[in-house]
Amino acid sequence: MKILVAVKRVVDYNVKVRVKTDGTGVETANVKMSMNPFDEIALEEALRMKEAGIATEIVAISCGAATCQETLRTALAFGADRAILVESDTELQPLAVAKLLAAIVKKESPGMVILGKQAIDDDCNQTGQMLAALLGWPQGAFASKLARDGDKLAVTREVDGGLETVSLSLPAVVTADLRLNEPRYVTLPNIMKAKKKPLETIKPDALGVDATPRLKTLKVQEPPTRKAGIKVPDAKTLVDKLRNEAKVIS
Amino acid sequence: MSRLLEQIGAVVGPSGMLTGADAQVWATDWRKRYFGKALAVVRPANTAEVAKVVRLCAQTRTAIVPQGGNTGLCGGATPDASGAQIILSLSRMNRVRAIDTLNNTLTVEAGCVLTAVQQAAEAAGRLFPLSLAAEGTAQIGGNLSTNAGGTAVLRYGNTRELTLGLEVVLASGEIWEGLRGLRKDNTGYDMKHLFIGAEGSLGVITAAVLKLFPLPRARVTAIAALPDAQTALSLLAYAQERLGSGLTGFELFSALCLDLVLKHYPASIAPFAARYPQYVLIELSDLESEEAARNSLEGMLGGALESGLILDAAVSQSLAQFKSMWALRENVSEAQAQEGPNIKHDVTVPISRMAEFIEVTDAELARAFPGMRNVTFGHLGDGNLHYNVSPPEGVPHADFVRRTEEVNRVVHDSVARFNGSISAEHGLGQYKREEITRYKSVVEMEMMRSVKRALDPLGIMNPGKVL
Repeated sequence: MKILVAVKRVVDYNVKVRVKTDGTGVETANVKMSMNPFDEIALEEALRMKEAGIATEIVAISCGAATCQETLRTALAFGADRAILVESDTELQPLAVAKLLAAIVKKESPGMVILGKQAIDDDCNQTGQMLAALLGWPQGAFASKLARDGDKLAVTREVDGGLETVSLSLPAVVTADLRLNEPRYVTLPNIMKAKKKPLETIKPDALGVDATPRLKTLKVQEPPTRKAGIKVPDAKTLVDKLRNEAKVIS
Repeated sequence: MSRLLEQIGAVVGPSGMLTGADAQVWATDWRKRYFGKALAVVRPANTAEVAKVVRLCAQTRTAIVPQGGNTGLCGGATPDASGAQIILSLSRMNRVRAIDTLNNTLTVEAGCVLTAVQQAAEAAGRLFPLSLAAEGTAQIGGNLSTNAGGTAVLRYGNTRELTLGLEVVLASGEIWEGLRGLRKDNTGYDMKHLFIGAEGSLGVITAAVLKLFPLPRARVTAIAALPDAQTALSLLAYAQERLGSGLTGFELFSALCLDLVLKHYPASIAPFAARYPQYVLIELSDLESEEAARNSLEGMLGGALESGLILDAAVSQSLAQFKSMWALRENVSEAQAQEGPNIKHDVTVPISRMAEFIEVTDAELARAFPGMRNVTFGHLGDGNLHYNVSPPEGVPHADFVRRTEEVNRVVHDSVARFNGSISAEHGLGQYKREEITRYKSVVEMEMMRSVKRALDPLGIMNPGKVL
C-alpha cells in the first residue's frame, strides 16, 4: 500500500509568535520554521507502517511557497521515499489544500492519506475532514492508535469520556493526534540520502484546482495583556473579594 | 525570642524572617545529605538591610550561612545542627538593576533566578550564556559564590569569566561597591575574584555586573555515537577545528547513562536503533542563520562519519528536538537519583588525558568494588566529568553509599595522579572540606586561611565550609 503524508511548514512550536506591526498576520521573517508537529506524528506513523510491512511507499506532500522544499527534505530525511511540492505563493486555506491533495490522490492512488489533525499556526482542524468528503472516503480523525485489521483499518480516537475505535475500509483518510506516537530522531546518513531522493514540483493550475482564498482576514492582533494580580493580606479579604468583586461565591 | 532576632526583625520586617518549623525546610540541602537547624531564615529586601543584619551578627558573633536557590551539591548552604546559625537568603533581592547593550553588561541582584537573568538578557537581544540543569531554581548569587560552570563553559567560560563587577557586604557589615562594568582594570588586587567561588565564606555577594554576548540566530544540536571515550577526544579536536567559536556544547555520556534516562523518562526516545558505548551531544550556535548552522554541523559530522570517528549521528530538526536532545543529557543526574543514592564525583583532569583517566579509574574501581556501575557523563569540552558510581546490581544503595570514603579515595587519588581537581564546578562546601586537605599543599591551604583571617577575622561567614 502506498501512503500519502501531508506536511505543513509552520512557525516552530517553541518560538514566541509576534504579530506584524501592520496587523496583517504574524511575523515569519527570520523566524525558525519547522514541520507542523502533528504532521510529524502522521509521518512517523506512516514510516512505522512501512517498517511493519503494511506500507510499501511513503510519499510526502506539502502545499505552499518554494521554502516548503526544506520541510519536504526533512520528511525525506525522516524516511519518506519521495516528495511532491504543490507550489503557490498565494495563501492556501484548508479547502484549497484539501482540493489540491484530492487532485494529487487522483494521480497517485494511495491506499491511505495521513496528516496532522490540525496545523499549529491557524488551528483550523479542517483539511483532513474536507479531503475525506471530497474523495468520498471514510475518515478517522484524531487517531491515537492505528492497527491494520484484515483489509480494514482500526482507528482509536480520543473522545470525551474515553476511547472510541472505528473500523475504516481502505482507502481512507486519517488525522493524527498527539499521543499516536513519538517521532524519531533523524540520522545523518538519512539526511545525506534525502538530498538525492526525488522531489517533484507541481503548480495548482496544472492540477486544475482553483486555490483562490475564500476567506478574508480582516485583522490580526495580540490578545490583550493580562492585568497584574494583587496580593491580599488575609483570607477574610480574599473571601470578601471573591464574594463582592468577582462575585464567584455567594 | 532572643534580643538578636528582635533586632534583625526590626531591620527586615515581619515578612523578612522565618523561625521555628518555617525555617526548617531551608536547613536541609537539595541532596538531603545534611540536616541542619537554623536560628532563623533572614530575607532582607535590599543591600542596606543585608549590611545591617551582618553588622548585628558580627556584634553577637553569630554565624551567617548565605543561601541562594539551595541547589548546591556539597552542603555549602546548609547550617550546622546547633540551631545557632542564621540562614541569609537573598531571594527577595531579585531585581535586574540595569542593562547596557552597548557595554554588553547586565547588573542584577543576587537573588535573581538564573533563568530570569537569561530571559532579561534575551529580551534585550543579548545572550547571558551561563546554563546548568538547576537554572530554574538556582540564584545568580549562588552561581557566583560557587563559580558555577554548566554546559556553555567550552565557549563562554565559567561564572568567574562572565563577571565584571560585584557588590559585596563584608563580614564587618561594610558595603563594597564594586559594580564596575570594565573589561580592563589593572589597579591592584582584583578583589572580586576572592568572593567568586568563596561559597559565602568571605562575605555576601549582593549584586553583580555580568557580561552579555550576541544572541545566536540559530542553535542546532546533534548526538553522535562513538566506540569509546578516546575517540570522543579526537572528535572534540576535529569539531573545534571545523566549527571554531560556533561550537557551544560538547557533552559526553555513556550507554548506561542513556539507558537510565530512557528507563526513568518514558517519553524520551533513543537517538538510534542500536546501542553504542558512548554518546556525545554537540551544540552549534550561529549568528547568521539556521541554514548556515545546519550546513556547518552536518558538514562536520559528515567528515567525522567518513573518517570513521563516529559510528552514527542524529541531528535535531526542530526546537522541540533541540530541547529533547539536551534533556537526554541533562536528565542523567535525576535518572540516576531515581535508582537510589549513589556516590558522586565532580572531577576535572587535563582534556587530553580524560579518556585515559576514565579507563584507569574504571579498572581500579572494578578491582576494589566488583560489579559497581559507572554512570560517567560530563562536559568533555572543558575537561569536567561527573564520575558517578552506582552499586552493583542487587546491592542496596544505602549499603553501598556507606562506603563513600573508600570509593572517594580510589577516585580522588586517581584524579591527583592525573594532576586534576576533585571539585571542578560544585565547590567544596562541607562535603569536600576535609577531603581537599589531602590534595592541596600546606602552602596553598595556608594562603587560603590567611585570606579568610583578613576578610573575616571573627569567623562568622559560613563557618565549617571550604576551610
